[in-house]
Amino acid sequence: MTILQANKIHKTYGNKFNKHEVLKGLDLSIERGEFVSIMGPSGSGKTTLLNVLSSIDRVTRGTINIEDHEITAMKEKKLAEFRKHHLGFIFQEYNLLDTLTAKENILLPLSIANVSKKEATIRFDRLAKELGIYEVKDKYPNELSGGQKQRTSAVRAFIHEPSIIFADEPTGALDSKSASDLLDKLSDLNDKLSATIVMVTHDMTAASFSNRVIFIQDGQIYTQLTKGEQSRQDFYKDIMKTQGVLGGVQQ
Amino acid sequence: MSIQKLILRNLRNNLKNYYLYVFALIFSVALYFAFVTLQFDPAMNEAESSVKGAAFFRTASIGLIVIVGVFLLYANHIFIKRRSKEIGLFQLIGMTRNRISCILSVENFIMYFGSTIIGTFLGFSASKFIMMILYKVTQVNETASLHFSWAALIQTLIVFTLIYVLIMFTNYLYIRKQSILSLFRVQSSTENQVKKMSVFEMVIGVVGILFIISGYYLSSKLFGGDFTSITEIFLAMVIILGLVILGTYLFYKGSVSFIMNLIRKQKGGYLNINEVLSLSSLMFRMKSNALLLTIITAVSALAIGLLSLTYITYYSAEKTAENYVSSDFALTNQDSGSQFKAALDAENIAYSERTVDVIQAELNVKDILDVQLEGLNFDPNKMTLPIVSDQDVKDVNVSPGETYLAGYANMLQNFMPLHDRGEVEIIGKESQIPLKYQGMLDEPIISSYFTNGGLPVVVVDESDFKQLQEDRNEGIQKSSSIFIGVDISNHGDIKQANEIFNDMEEKFMERSPHFASQLNTSMNQKQNMGLSMFIVGFLGLTFLITSGCILYFKQMDQGEEEKPSYTILRKLGFTRKDLLRGIKTKQLFNFGIPLVIGLLHSYFAVKSGWFLFGTELWTPMLMVMGLYTVLYSIFGLLSVQYYKKVIKEAL
Ligand SMILES: Nc1ncnc2c1ncn2[C@@H]1O[C@H](COP(=O)(O)OP(=O)(O)OP(=O)(O)O)[C@@H](O)[C@H]1O
Ligand SMILES: [Mg+2]
Repeated sequence: MTILQANKIHKTYGNKFNKHEVLKGLDLSIERGEFVSIMGPSGSGKTTLLNVLSSIDRVTRGTINIEDHEITAMKEKKLAEFRKHHLGFIFQEYNLLDTLTAKENILLPLSIANVSKKEATIRFDRLAKELGIYEVKDKYPNELSGGQKQRTSAVRAFIHEPSIIFADEPTGALDSKSASDLLDKLSDLNDKLSATIVMVTHDMTAASFSNRVIFIQDGQIYTQLTKGEQSRQDFYKDIMKTQGVLGGVQQ
Repeated sequence: MSIQKLILRNLRNNLKNYYLYVFALIFSVALYFAFVTLQFDPAMNEAESSVKGAAFFRTASIGLIVIVGVFLLYANHIFIKRRSKEIGLFQLIGMTRNRISCILSVENFIMYFGSTIIGTFLGFSASKFIMMILYKVTQVNETASLHFSWAALIQTLIVFTLIYVLIMFTNYLYIRKQSILSLFRVQSSTENQVKKMSVFEMVIGVVGILFIISGYYLSSKLFGGDFTSITEIFLAMVIILGLVILGTYLFYKGSVSFIMNLIRKQKGGYLNINEVLSLSSLMFRMKSNALLLTIITAVSALAIGLLSLTYITYYSAEKTAENYVSSDFALTNQDSGSQFKAALDAENIAYSERTVDVIQAELNVKDILDVQLEGLNFDPNKMTLPIVSDQDVKDVNVSPGETYLAGYANMLQNFMPLHDRGEVEIIGKESQIPLKYQGMLDEPIISSYFTNGGLPVVVVDESDFKQLQEDRNEGIQKSSSIFIGVDISNHGDIKQANEIFNDMEEKFMERSPHFASQLNTSMNQKQNMGLSMFIVGFLGLTFLITSGCILYFKQMDQGEEEKPSYTILRKLGFTRKDLLRGIKTKQLFNFGIPLVIGLLHSYFAVKSGWFLFGTELWTPMLMVMGLYTVLYSIFGLLSVQYYKKVIKEAL
């Protein structure tokens, strides 16, 4: 079942005289419960794509549907409402409010959605234990390690049971051990809760945790790889090959 | 890009961002220039000499320089810190520090002296208006006309050039001290302050509140009789001041976060958007500004307090004059009385007359005194008071053996509270007259000449009065023992009568120097107080605006610092409206806490001693406080507008 459907999306930056088209009529569809990675050279428009898919930025042309809501047609207030209930976010940094403790940060999405305090605590306890941050729940972000911070953001992204979770280089600031820790947990949650995850990454190892990798170039989908039944190691090799063909930086 | 272009571009950006700084600068110059113009105006000589204000003016202009100077230096410090990244970048691309200092100086020069010129213009136009206010409050009947004064202009230019040089010098030092790395790091220094609350901080928090409360408590006892000698009272004042100021500092340092922490604990991690934006941010940021906030609070409290007290005096001038003079005109000599009355008759001015015989006698008041006073200048066994007969007091009838005390001024009432009933004793030369004290009469019967400036008047029955007259102690009698009060029947005639009275002053003087006119007394007080009020108000206003600006600048910084948080919150699905609501709550506290603490401080300060200044507490004090609150809120509202912009740009 399709949860996200993007049709011919265009995104242009700049003004009349100095146009820069980053996305050029891109089509994309994501199934419920999928874990999708988006890869591509630097400057190819990955962040831009993620931002428009997640309603943080607007497309210039084209439509995006999430769970049969056409988010490209919504007004700002409705969009905020939509994000509140249906979307979760994890970013590379600036994920957490530095004046709130880990627990307070995590419970934020529930407090906007008016979930009862009791229910909130139950969900928090379960997820926080799962991701191993229960012990540090009363610490402030600057007292946490990078990995703990990102796992905290992950819990926050999952806690209100959103339809789809967007992650922009969540492992970008982590060492490889903490990175695979986090990804392990993510794919775990993806399995258990059948949560849909869309993740932008530079890191091939990170990408190999997902079910499908989409390569972007020139504002279009260049190619896609599906993991299928193969092992993570084999998938990793596939990704490496494609990445080699694609090259480093967008011209 | 050439240096000129760079400077111009920076300047444009600065003007956009720091319009309030430029405004404050213009305002400071305008205010100072207006003030100095006033000081140098020839017309002022008269006003000054009539109220002996020259020294006052000079002190005030120094005070003005200090406030403005400190403000400008501090504001500059905030701004150079904000631009540290830019400065670091210049250095990174190979500009020397001297070159950067130079660019900054030129940039500032244009902004600074541009504002000075505009400020001077505004100041000159405003000075006429300010002069009118001054005339109004000091009751000088002249139309304000002003002349441009070169001396004022030169003085203003010198003062602001000096401040400019000082600012540039501190900038130079600042840049010299910094390495490229540290310049980049400056802005993220607050992050380190976010930590769990330690026990020490909790203790500080509790102690802070205790200090303030005990300071308030002491202040309410200050003139209540617990401190009886001047040294004791003075010592108590110093202790109160110390407790309150230190308490305020600890309050900002610990109590705010302590209280917020308590509230937060209760929420169990489940915070709504208002709490996220206000509680959590205030907890950490107020602490780091504790010193600044303490200074702002203390000086605002001082300003509000002084302004309230001077206004109380001003406001109560008529009432005080009534207490002191007790009739429209008071004389203490029969011949002077007849002469004055004849002059009134000649002008067909209707009046009524009261003549009161006054004997001075010692009174034993020990029994009715509520507290035991030691060390103060009198002996409760033998208090010298004026005695009058009930026949001379309208609508009062005292039975033999009884007595009332009248016209007991506010101030004394606070210094030496009396019981409602009790025994007193008039001590004559030979014998004593025991009397039953029946209570107080709220009416000044005779002028302050007889009451030594506000002691109560003892009203007794005619028979007791007669007895005392026979047995009076000549040693303590005043040179006059008769009070002649003349009340003008028609209120509209008082001015004319007062002129007649003033014309006759010399003749009165030959006979007895103790005469008074209520109108003169109240005008005198109004003039004196009007000038103090004007100057305190002027300084207070300047301080209010400068400190408001500083709080606003701090909020600008905070807004930028918290911008990433707003980004996260908006991504999570909070709308701009949600955030703005939270910000409003936050600003309510950010501006409200220092304001409320400042108001409380000044309230308790005024409350402890206002009766020394006048007869009316609430109206004048509330008016001053209300005005202050309104002006202060403007800065809070401006900061909310700024946050609105930050929130909008956050996503
Ligand atoms: N706000 C913007 N205004 C103008 N141009 C932009 C803006 N954001 C991105 N771009 C341009 O769009 C292109 C794609 O940017 P984007 O951030 O999506 O790349 P990316 O694939 O995420 O790169 P990286 O892997 O380096 O993060 C870049 O050329 C960038 O310069
Ligand atoms: Mg990117």
